[in-house]
Amino acid sequence: MTADIFLFWLLASVTLLSGVGVVLVSNPIYSALCLAMTMVGVSAIFATLGAYFIAGVQMIVYAGAVMVLFVMVLMLFDLKTEIATFSRGRISGAIKIAIVGLLAGLIAGTFAMTTTIAGKPETKEKAGHAAKSLGELLFTKYVFGFEALGVLLLIIAIGVVGLARSKGGTHAKH
Amino acid sequence: MGESAFEIAINCVKLVLVFLLMVQMVPVLVWLERRGSGFIQNRFGPNRVGPLGLMQLLADAVKFLTKEEFVPKAATKLLFYAAPVFALLPGTLAFSAIPMASPLKWGEHTFLIQGYEIGVGIVFILAISSLAAYTILMAGWGSGNKFSLMGALRASAQTISYELALGLSLVGVIMMYGTFNLTEMIHAQEGAMQFQAFGFTISSSLLPNWGIFYQPLAAVLFFAATFAESNRLPFDLAEGEAELVAGFHTEYGGFKMLLFFIGEYGHMMVASGLMATFFFGGYNIPWTTTEQVYQWALGIVGSPDWASALSSAVHFAMFFAKLAAFLWIFIWVRWTLPRFRYDQLMDLGWKTMLPWALANTIITAVVVFAVSQTW
Repeated sequence: MTADIFLFWLLASVTLLSGVGVVLVSNPIYSALCLAMTMVGVSAIFATLGAYFIAGVQMIVYAGAVMVLFVMVLMLFDLKTEIATFSRGRISGAIKIAIVGLLAGLIAGTFAMTTTIAGKPETKEKAGHAAKSLGELLFTKYVFGFEALGVLLLIIAIGVVGLARSKGGTHAKH
Repeated sequence: MGESAFEIAINCVKLVLVFLLMVQMVPVLVWLERRGSGFIQNRFGPNRVGPLGLMQLLADAVKFLTKEEFVPKAATKLLFYAAPVFALLPGTLAFSAIPMASPLKWGEHTFLIQGYEIGVGIVFILAISSLAAYTILMAGWGSGNKFSLMGALRASAQTISYELALGLSLVGVIMMYGTFNLTEMIHAQEGAMQFQAFGFTISSSLLPNWGIFYQPLAAVLFFAATFAESNRLPFDLAEGEAELVAGFHTEYGGFKMLLFFIGEYGHMMVASGLMATFFFGGYNIPWTTTEQVYQWALGIVGSPDWASALSSAVHFAMFFAKLAAFLWIFIWVRWTLPRFRYDQLMDLGWKTMLPWALANTIITAVVVFAVSQTW
């Protein structure tokens, strides 16, 4: 067993375990922390594949920014009532089962449709060049999708500010 | 991890060494902070235990280790214990990625004087230090105390806000050097000032070829943002004593408290090391190149192995001199400037530093493109 294989199994099991933890743990805070751990694990797996830039960005954006905000908001809730409302009710139960079915279908479909597994990239040592070629692809071939996503995020940001402002925002005078 | 067992062993030893280096710097820094604050405030500071009060740290260590170990009743035990341990991680991992001296070539082996070299060094360091917010949140929420939680929310909101300005201020630097790699950046800052513009080579022997002369605004923004990232004064809103007792570590005592301390000093060391690497030539001695130092060492000791070792040692000393200078500025600022109000802090982050960092990015992009054209 080489070091690479050992690393892969270690990281994969940590990622999967924390991923399972997200679903099974009943406390939302632990759930969110598990999700953050999953993000870190995924980013570490990216790093072992030689995609250092993607690994770093994954960590900065998802683990470092998005999940921190989730955890912050969760900590402000009164968790006891949240847990109760979250885990009872027939309609929400039906929705949950439907979502599980959808996800299972998605995973099964992915397995069924995957025929080959892409090999490791040749340029593992030249991570700087990998980032460069990624940038070139983003700004030439996929520039429309890239910019469209940017506009979408901008619209979301404006919408959120609009919604928050419509109720008076943080400086509302009651 | 490495190709052979020898490499893996060396890498593990290096990680331990960097960690020990960081932890061992902390007592010295604490002593410097106390004596320095005494000097600044025109009083003595600790001067009774040992020469110049140096043994005070030993006494403190014993005190920290022998204090009563307690957990608040309302605390979440797992998070309460995990948080101080996690506090050490970001600083250590980020500090290991900073090159501290020129590589040591011994026979057929080349030893990098850093924990590990990563091609996308900057991205890695930013990614690791963005995880520091979890420590604070875990400590604040896990303590089961309202003051702790409020301190943690303040601290993490501040960290996230200033991370944007921090990251954006570095974009100009990355564009200028054209690389994410810290070692390549240090190589780009060798010797006296020299750069290509419109196809001409412009050089000046008055200034060293340091990043701060090309990116002064980025240097100021970066340094200010790192103060906020490490929760130091004037940005230590997390522990505004008048309103929050001590912020997220209110409920911590003894050794657990000390671990948070080490984490904070670790952040300072990472920030100082990055300042030196991005804007002040890294381990290079001003006006000289790595090659010149190597030739000088070769003239003194003769054998190439020992010359490489000597030049590594000289560079290491230079890096530490720069690191110490920035650490002193951290301490100096803490005892000079008063604390911001919370709205001033957020205004500074979002309405002042972020736009300036964006402007710096755009101007750098235009200038880098224009200058690369031949006349």
